[in-house]
Amino acid sequence: MFKRIFYEDWATIIQMSAFVILFTVFLVTTIRAIRLRPSERRRLASLPLEDQER
Amino acid sequence: MNTTTITYDDKTVRQFMIFSIIWGIVGMLVGVIAATQLSWWQMNGKFLEAITFGLFQGDGLQYITFGRLRPLHTNAVIFAFVGNMMFAGVYYSTQRLCKTRTASDLLSKIHMWGWQLIIVAAAITLPAGLTRGKEYAELIWPINIAVALIWVIFAVNFFWTLAKRNEPSLYVALWFYIATIVTVAMLYIVNHLSIPTSLIHSYPVFGGLQDALVQWWYGHNAVAFFLTTPILGIMYYYLPKAANRPVYSYRLSIVHFWSLVFIYIWAGPHHLLNTSLPRWLQMLGMLFSLMLWAPSWGGMLNGLLTLRGAWAKLRTDPVIKFFAAGVTFYGMATFEGPLLSIRAVNQLSHYTDWTIGHVHSGALGWNGFMAAGMFYWLAPRLWKTRLWSTSLANMHFWIGLVGILLYVAAMWTAGVLQGLMLGETNPDGTTLKYEFVETLKAIQVEYILRSFGGLLFLLGFILCAVNIWKTARSGQPHNDTVEVTVPETEKDEMPLGKTIFNDPVAYSLLGCVLLCLWFFLPPHADKAALIALVLLAVKGVHGFKRNGMKWNNWHERLLHNYLPFTILVAVAVIIGGAVQIIPSLLVNRDDNIEGRLQELYTPLELAGRDIYVSEGCYNCHSQMIRTLMPDVLRYGRAGHDDDFSHLGESIYDHPFQWGSKRTGPDLAREGGPLVEGSEHVRSGRRDNKWHWFHFRNPRWANQDSNMPPYPWLFEEKTDIKALPKKIAVQTQLGVPYEAMDKHEIEQAALDQATAISRTLFEGEAPVTYDGMPEATGEELVAEFSQRKIIALIAYMQKLGSYRVVEKDGPPEPTPLDPDSYRSLTGRSLEYRDGKTAASEAEAEPTN
Repeated sequence: MFKRIFYEDWATIIQMSAFVILFTVFLVTTIRAIRLRPSERRRLASLPLEDQER
Repeated sequence: MNTTTITYDDKTVRQFMIFSIIWGIVGMLVGVIAATQLSWWQMNGKFLEAITFGLFQGDGLQYITFGRLRPLHTNAVIFAFVGNMMFAGVYYSTQRLCKTRTASDLLSKIHMWGWQLIIVAAAITLPAGLTRGKEYAELIWPINIAVALIWVIFAVNFFWTLAKRNEPSLYVALWFYIATIVTVAMLYIVNHLSIPTSLIHSYPVFGGLQDALVQWWYGHNAVAFFLTTPILGIMYYYLPKAANRPVYSYRLSIVHFWSLVFIYIWAGPHHLLNTSLPRWLQMLGMLFSLMLWAPSWGGMLNGLLTLRGAWAKLRTDPVIKFFAAGVTFYGMATFEGPLLSIRAVNQLSHYTDWTIGHVHSGALGWNGFMAAGMFYWLAPRLWKTRLWSTSLANMHFWIGLVGILLYVAAMWTAGVLQGLMLGETNPDGTTLKYEFVETLKAIQVEYILRSFGGLLFLLGFILCAVNIWKTARSGQPHNDTVEVTVPETEKDEMPLGKTIFNDPVAYSLLGCVLLCLWFFLPPHADKAALIALVLLAVKGVHGFKRNGMKWNNWHERLLHNYLPFTILVAVAVIIGGAVQIIPSLLVNRDDNIEGRLQELYTPLELAGRDIYVSEGCYNCHSQMIRTLMPDVLRYGRAGHDDDFSHLGESIYDHPFQWGSKRTGPDLAREGGPLVEGSEHVRSGRRDNKWHWFHFRNPRWANQDSNMPPYPWLFEEKTDIKALPKKIAVQTQLGVPYEAMDKHEIEQAALDQATAISRTLFEGEAPVTYDGMPEATGEELVAEFSQRKIIALIAYMQKLGSYRVVEKDGPPEPTPLDPDSYRSLTGRSLEYRDGKTAASEAEAEPTN
């Protein structure tokens, strides 16, 4: 397998692996982001605004 | 409900901010001087004659040549300007997001003053020529240790603050800070692994290709995790504050963070496209760079859309102006980066000023403007007053913006023009149309415009300094005191054991291990690993069905637990680094090299190489003929097939010297074979006398050259005594020097230096030296055999020397289809042999 990366189907393997990795990370984080409760989301988003403003 | 009163430590924030502005101006001023040096060689020291009214006499001053100032500029801007700005932003926002004071005032003090001492040490050592010779990693090893220690102190203080926070949730800005701290520590330590030869000199443990790969893994991610992720954290905190509305999409910020952190770390090899780096690594770097478009633009849009409903402020509020322009430049720079990472585009852009333009649209537009916006927002709060002058801040904005646009446009034009000229051939297609120096002459107008653009940006920052100083004078240093609620909900309840030993993590880790085994095991064993992987996946799906809620909870809890969060970030970045670097460490060793294998440097040549590195020659000259026709035509040798730089030709170079920008021509084939009958003297493209005159006055060789003269190399002595230790360290690093004792090494160096000196001062048309007008040839030989110029000439004449290694029974290379890079099929083999449908029809007799 290692040899194949170097000499044979490297182009296909790297492209596919890269795409699969990106897609997995993207999918998992997107699902997690979508499933975040709206109330929690609003609370987290307004955290910087909670301290006292002049 | 319990409450507690907190007084934030804003003194540290003020100090970091002030130092950021001071060092920023210093760094930018050095940058402007360095830029003018490319237009007027006199700016390398000769100009001092005029401004000191003749007190200083000389063609150049070693402490301010381009080769030494450029590292000072980059280090000052990255680590001093952006570093201090980042620390100011992090200290201010972390305390407020955690609703607690920084954990330790003592650690904050050590961090702040320690960092400034490091900067002062860099400002002394870099102009003195003390360097490791790797871009953005030039500082010598004792300073490296100090940087690592101070960074650890910063990390301890930060995580300690997280641990005692009064807000259970970790806001997204803190995620970016965590990623910065973890990843920069990893990158810095790995790329700075060195073995000292003295208190001020060391050799990096990696050499040649390995060193190149590690360097650009570090270099690229220094941009990613020092200049980008902390500033994104700052964006996610300060932009909502300035616009007085929450971030546009918190969901998008989650996707932005994880995608960015996961992908960024893989993209380093795009700095080495079309070089002798293995193709699979080049492709990896290119693809991951292209993928970066998505998260980068997601982040940019999230930042800009946070201003929805607040756009009216753009007309009046300089803070919003700087932030909006800064985020826009982030978008432009992150669009351009992946574009330049496409191999075909990189053919044109690499080694030219296009890259410099790209870097500065990020550094000036993104970092510089975000810094300015943050300073203008912070100053009235830190000194409890109003900004001294909004008009002056607006003027800073417009002067800075014009400066950036001028700079970037000039560099784009210069880069594309020079790149095209360098590749242009005569009508016969076999010879190049332009000499290198002609292409340099063609971009002089752009170089002047660049200097002017940089000067405008610097002027803008001087206005900022005045404004902040006046603001500080009009108020009093102020530390916010607030009352916060002590949380009743649990936080950080997930200990280390629970973080790792739970189903989602166990399945993921085991899955990764089996995936690696499938990749790397020999035939049949890899299939077994694949089957085990499938079975694990099936079991994982069943497990999720049974305990789905528990798995979800694990992730929800992650957002309230900084330790497992940090571990996950570390895993994400370590995987990306390991996949690139470990295979190269295992495979790219000299005993695996077939074909060209670098010849070892003699002791004198090694000393010359150290002088080359010390003078920062790599800032302008590459030593890498890319696998591209224009490169081979220009720098290759007639009569040699495939005369691009091969992987084995620089395998013993600690550090590698492939370079990243060609202000002068490539030097990979500058050297040549031994002169007939001599054991010491080589003659390459040019003879020793040419080098002698060229180093004294580059205009002697070509009147349009912008290279500085190096008169001090004719005065200073080579450190021959240091060579035994240096060679011992090289041997330790795997360079196969034969056993030599101290005296043999010193004698070998002296013998070669004497032989080279004789070619200069004896025979036909001997050279003379103004400093010793009365000296005889023999006296000159005796004197100059100890001087740096001779060692440097020895090194120049050795460049590109290799021997060819034949190996018995190497595996036959498998020819690939040139279009798809896949194995040739029966059909494509027929095409290769010229059998096409047309030829077959022609061959068959028709009835």
